[in-house]
Amino acid sequence: MKEITMDVLHDAANRLLFDMSEQEYQTLYEEFKILTKQMEKIGKIEGLEAYAPMTFPFDVTVDYLREDVAETPLPRDEALKNAGSVQDHEIKLPKVVG
Amino acid sequence: MNTLDLSLNEIHAALVEKKVTPLELTQEAIKRAKESKDNAFELIDEANALAFAASLKGPEKDNVLWGIPYVLKDNFSTKGLPTTASSNILNGYVPLYDATVVSKLKAAKAVMIGKSTLDELAMGGTGTTGHLGKTYNPWDPTHQRMIGGSSCGSAASVCSGIVPFALGSDTGDSVRKPASFAGLVGMKPTWGRISRYGLFPFAPSLDHVGFFSRTAADSAYLLDVLAGRDNHDSTSSFKPVEKYESLIGKPVKGLKIAIIKEITDSITNQALKASFAKSVEALKKQGVEVEEVSFGRDLLESIYATYIVISCAEATSNDANLDGIKFGPNYGGKTYQEVMYNARTKGFSELIKRRFVIGSFALMRENQDVLFLRAQKNRAKIVEKTNAILKDHDFIYVPAAPSIAPSFSAASDKLSDEYLIADNHLALGNFAGLPSITLPLTLEEGMPIGINFMGRAFEEAKLYQIAAAFESISGLSNLSIRNKKEGNL
Repeated sequence: MKEITMDVLHDAANRLLFDMSEQEYQTLYEEFKILTKQMEKIGKIEGLEAYAPMTFPFDVTVDYLREDVAETPLPRDEALKNAGSVQDHEIKLPKVVG
Repeated sequence: MNTLDLSLNEIHAALVEKKVTPLELTQEAIKRAKESKDNAFELIDEANALAFAASLKGPEKDNVLWGIPYVLKDNFSTKGLPTTASSNILNGYVPLYDATVVSKLKAAKAVMIGKSTLDELAMGGTGTTGHLGKTYNPWDPTHQRMIGGSSCGSAASVCSGIVPFALGSDTGDSVRKPASFAGLVGMKPTWGRISRYGLFPFAPSLDHVGFFSRTAADSAYLLDVLAGRDNHDSTSSFKPVEKYESLIGKPVKGLKIAIIKEITDSITNQALKASFAKSVEALKKQGVEVEEVSFGRDLLESIYATYIVISCAEATSNDANLDGIKFGPNYGGKTYQEVMYNARTKGFSELIKRRFVIGSFALMRENQDVLFLRAQKNRAKIVEKTNAILKDHDFIYVPAAPSIAPSFSAASDKLSDEYLIADNHLALGNFAGLPSITLPLTLEEGMPIGINFMGRAFEEAKLYQIAAAFESISGLSNLSIRNKKEGNL
């Protein structure tokens, strides 16, 4: 596993496209120390490697095709309601490329 | 006693007998909501609620939810009403559709009076991290104690008597722990029993719709309406919906309960230990077979880290769309990355950002084996052990929390090595997707504290059977700050 350093945490936050206060990076650093210690303990639990990673509590199987029923799509005016800016029935975005 | 303070069945009877109207109930609920000083609401939808209540034609004798006011956690989509999940990044977001549970309650003609506040994006357990600040525990008028989270506003609105029921969501214990601190019935049914369409996802492998009520029977009536397959949610179950109140009142003699030794041993509060022991003896007197079993200390101590890694990893992926472009305010920027960076830096609280970094780090290729995959394997081992116990027992019975509601000064959302078992074991129900219900056990220093029963998958009716029997033991059915009781334990 990658060693936890303040630089690694800054890099991880920046990859997630946000920044935090220096105090919060310090809190996070302390949290990671606790978390990695606990995860190391979990690694020592006998027989753990034999288990398959569990992604959901139960298998959910959907094995049918739904009827091909025509539905009314979202009306245009409704769809544009949450847009901050609208022009000619289209969402207007600020220019961020080029 | 005001009609609003009765159980659902009793309110329904009053409605059918025309002693009260839906409009009068709604007016009283809104009055109480406005008077509340506990910071429970994101919004009170007064105009729509009054109009809907006034429009109801009836009464409908066979519909126990007809005309009943309720409160909805603000992470369920509501068409035309702002839905923020108490996060600044969703300020101003107005969904274009109703969550399935909202549609079902609307069809049942229950009256939604408002949306309750929560820990931001439902990722917290203290009721302090939402964008409106702390939610206070109504049982403590000095406002020193929390009510827990993340469904803090829903819990506060039911225990303060504003409404007889409220919806929440439960990913680790976010309904069942606050229920313990609020003296309520808090139910999380089997994973897949209730559609999650329209519930903002936190960690879908662990997320459940849950609800607060003041009696076990009320909770069963709610599940009757909310349960069922929904083609909008591919994880919802095809299993037929039952009459979940059908076993209430039937003798509990012969039912088998497991008590997990390491969990009861982890409780240091002597008053709680004594009340719990008394409750066990009372259950035995009713013919319930009680057996103490061992789960394994290492496995129980591993619940929290396992939960944090899995839930944070799922959350960081789910919330990647909260970026200031698809959702959230636009704070400007020269590139789209800068727009996202500004929106996410300003839009999320520090707790949420820390959780996202943990989740993202756990998912990185070089870390996956020892963090994310290890947590998922451990989840499988924990679930196997839980189900093995339930093979020989109908329920697992535990204290729901290690104490009464903590004071704000003692509570923290930072990761800690303390109370690893006592504070986190309710997540067993989320790992395994099992139905799990919290009920009030007793009061200490005037503050309630609860217990929890967890049953086998899709055996909710049996869970309500033992829950209702337990209410007769505790003497704390229909508890609220307007209907205080001393209890028997």
